[in-house]
Amino acid sequence: MEKFAKSFSSKPLAWPRGKQWALAGVVGSGNLEVLIERNSKTTDQMECIVESSIPGYKSSWLAALGDFAANYPSGGTKVTIHDQGADPIVVTFRLRQAYDHLIKP
Amino acid sequence: MSSLFHEQTARQRIASIVDSFTEFLPPPERVMSPYLPQLDIPVSFDDGLVIGRAKIGGKPVYLAAQVGQFVGGSVGEVHGAKLTGILKAAARDGIPCVLIVESGGVRLHEGSSGEIAISEAMRAVFECRAKRVPTIAVIGSDIGAYGGMGILTTCCDFRIMTEHGRLGISGPIVIEKWMGKKAYDSSNRALVWKTSGGKTKFLFGDADVLAEDDAASVSAAISKLLAKSSPLTLKSIKARQQELEKRLKAFGKTSDPDVIWKAHGLASIAEASLANAKEFAALAKKK
Repeated sequence: MEKFAKSFSSKPLAWPRGKQWALAGVVGSGNLEVLIERNSKTTDQMECIVESSIPGYKSSWLAALGDFAANYPSGGTKVTIHDQGADPIVVTFRLRQAYDHLIKP
Repeated sequence: MSSLFHEQTARQRIASIVDSFTEFLPPPERVMSPYLPQLDIPVSFDDGLVIGRAKIGGKPVYLAAQVGQFVGGSVGEVHGAKLTGILKAAARDGIPCVLIVESGGVRLHEGSSGEIAISEAMRAVFECRAKRVPTIAVIGSDIGAYGGMGILTTCCDFRIMTEHGRLGISGPIVIEKWMGKKAYDSSNRALVWKTSGGKTKFLFGDADVLAEDDAASVSAAISKLLAKSSPLTLKSIKARQQELEKRLKAFGKTSDPDVIWKAHGLASIAEASLANAKEFAALAKKK
């Protein structure tokens, strides 16, 4: 298992009316689940906690998450990931799915 | 979102069959397996079971849906406790309980805790049945209902299956390992499908309804059963026993599932294989 937590700089989340949390994906082979939650305050940090069954890919994770934080205003959210071997494109896709669910009222 | 029921995830299935849904122990509460991390296996926020209160066809139900992709939809301690809880709530409130089953049975990683959890859930099913609270199981994917979940499913009042659904105790590979490839070839998909699949289970009456592989058909089938319950009495159990003895006598020696289909009035196996649920039900009635 690879487990780590890291915060990424991101513009504050701009949609105040959406849901408190959103979930995308399932923990299955080649797949992952992403839970994105709003913190009580909007900040300029996206907190991330990652648990992956495949060790050794931390730099890829940091790149994918950093990229997402830079492209989508996610400041003031907490992202928790349970992964079972998803590739980076699936990770990015699930992050966007969860984000999309979160900001829609 | 896919409209084929067997391709959907548990949460998609719920969203596509209900009018409204309120989840109990939602993902942010993080009620997860304490065992899997010790084995270096990733956990899931819902431990593979989504439970809550819903409305289907305007009527209130308690609803549980298993996540087949997560450790085979298996029943661990937390998963089983959630399942037992939702069934007990149904018995307490007199509200029907609908289970969307997709599971290989007990989660072996959690050993006795999983075994106990599933037997507690079975006891809760019988608590519902004693109070005439309908329990309805839906099996709509090829992960199906096997092992302990196969037993629990058959304990319910009613079963709705699609042709993709499979129901059994031991899975095909398990049977092959014990009985030999001559007795049961698990790589023969047609054989597996015709012995444990929804269409055959419907012919036998093990599945009460054969639904199409879409949410609207499954939802309509659930709605129709919500007001009914199947009484569990000494008489009904004896009748069931006789039925099973009759089945064993009629088909116990056959190794060809087509014989069973033909005995149920299906003249053309090819036609019946390709028929949708509605057409199949009509063909099966013609005997």
